[in-house]
Amino acid sequence: MDIQLLFSGVIFGLSLASIYFLISIGLSLCFGLMRIISLDQLLYYSIGAYITYSVVTVSNNFWLGIIAGVMVGGLVAFIVERLIFRRIYERELTFSMITSFGILLGGIGIIKAIWGVIPRPIKPPFANQINLLGTDVPAYRILVIAIAGLVYIGIWLFLNKTIIGKAIRAGIEDMNHVEGLGINASRLFTITFVLAGALSALGGGLYAPLIMVDPSMGLEILAFVFMVVIIGGLGSIKGTLISSIIVGQVVSIGSLIYAPLAIMAPFAMMLIILLIKPTGLYGNKLNK
Amino acid sequence: MLNAWRWWRGIIIAFSLVAIGRLFLPLPFVNEVLIFSIYTIGCNFLLGRVGFISFGQPAYLAIGAYGTAFYLFYFGTNPYIGILAGVTAGFIFALIVAPLFVRLRSDYFALVNLALAVIIFYMMQKVLVKITKGDNGLWFLTNITSTPILDLTKPSDFFIFALLIAIVLWAFYKYVDGTIFGACCLATKINETKFQFLGYSNFRIRLMAFVIANTSTALAGCLYAVYLGSVSPEITSPSRTADPIVVTILGGVGTLFGPLVGTIAYTGLRDVISKMIGNWELFIGFILVFIMLTNSSGLYGGAENALNKWLEKARVSNLNKKKPK
Repeated sequence: MDIQLLFSGVIFGLSLASIYFLISIGLSLCFGLMRIISLDQLLYYSIGAYITYSVVTVSNNFWLGIIAGVMVGGLVAFIVERLIFRRIYERELTFSMITSFGILLGGIGIIKAIWGVIPRPIKPPFANQINLLGTDVPAYRILVIAIAGLVYIGIWLFLNKTIIGKAIRAGIEDMNHVEGLGINASRLFTITFVLAGALSALGGGLYAPLIMVDPSMGLEILAFVFMVVIIGGLGSIKGTLISSIIVGQVVSIGSLIYAPLAIMAPFAMMLIILLIKPTGLYGNKLNK
Repeated sequence: MLNAWRWWRGIIIAFSLVAIGRLFLPLPFVNEVLIFSIYTIGCNFLLGRVGFISFGQPAYLAIGAYGTAFYLFYFGTNPYIGILAGVTAGFIFALIVAPLFVRLRSDYFALVNLALAVIIFYMMQKVLVKITKGDNGLWFLTNITSTPILDLTKPSDFFIFALLIAIVLWAFYKYVDGTIFGACCLATKINETKFQFLGYSNFRIRLMAFVIANTSTALAGCLYAVYLGSVSPEITSPSRTADPIVVTILGGVGTLFGPLVGTIAYTGLRDVISKMIGNWELFIGFILVFIMLTNSSGLYGGAENALNKWLEKARVSNLNKKKPK
């Protein structure tokens, strides 16, 4: 395999990893703080992509579309949190999983009702290639990677430098103590959930030009997002970053070697990691 | 004799009702109900007894269905041997993945299982395309030969066969619920630390329960394959992974006849609603969220509770009447 192909494969893998990271960070944060498994993040991902599609076709401005997608994704997350998740935080983990899967399926039904079942293409904002180390790589993919990097830095700063972020981190350790300190837990949960939803929507909006937008896109990416979350360990942000890079690279390089490997290799890897460490790379014991 | 009757009573009444329903309802509907309820009872056992929430049931369904399909498409023509081949395939597959899966915590278990269903879907659709014919699926209806006593190529005979299988399976699950093994399953669901302290192995009990439940799911897959005469990757598509969970919850988690009642309600509603609006997922999603939020114990569970309460009330009032004398 020549070096140029490998290099473009790595860039491709990194851009995939960025998308996986943006979606799974929401799942991971929600699990860490609220002890729920929120499968409906994949719904906000689809909503982000569809709103981006609609705004782009109307206004012809891609960035406006992304902003609208993130805002609508966050808004839907806010409504869902207020109406549904509010009532089930105290319940068992499996309970939230079934409910959120219901929300995901219902949401896909609504998307089908509004936009129909036909896949829709979105034009990338710019199609030119950048010459990096003698290899031509699409500029848009580099941009996606850069945005994901910025998001990671932003989340890191948010969690480590702001008081709300510090409260979230403390809540991941022990929610009862945080409440005892007089911090409004329900507001904290809402903020985290909306943040997670908005990030998933951002992931959807950014990924939309690279694939077709279709109603079952959330279900298609679901397996990969799960693998990322499981390999990294639920509730760990660093683990999510590392495992999304691993999965992205395995999918990309694997498909260069032998096409079916793109799907099977990460799954096999996940099984091996679970065999060694049943809670994933950075996951810790659940005490609930 | 009386005890035996008491033990069999529920099962016989329930399936006589199904058999009577066969006279009024269209045959495809009744057959679908029987196969689907066999499909769901494994999931019901896992969720209600062992506390495993399995979003990956379609994976085991597909393994059973493809086991049967490969036999009937490539090798032989006898449907009974096909079903046997499918069940064996499902059993072996469950045995392979079980040691890996049952060690996991319930949340990881659910996620990994769902990922497994998606992977099996991709495998059947893309990776093994040479053997499985991809999205077109395998068609082998004409390959199946008629057998002398119960001719499975005829839907009416198939109904009798499926009914017998269902009765045997229900009796089996009822028997399992009553044994020490069934009690152990419930104990590992409720308090695994204490259960371990008592000297039992959580791992072994879960492994057995997992293999039993998924083998019965594979059996449903075999029945689907023989009944429809074709198998396509659609059987394990990601949007259908929630079906058994929905039916289990709709019928009542952990009850013996929950899956049957849930299946009848679900299949009936699906037939009615998909005729009115084409948007079936929307409906499942809302049912699921609604049942979870109202915290009800499902159709059969709710009816059972109400009946027990009523019987208790009648008994108490009888006692009160007798007391003065």
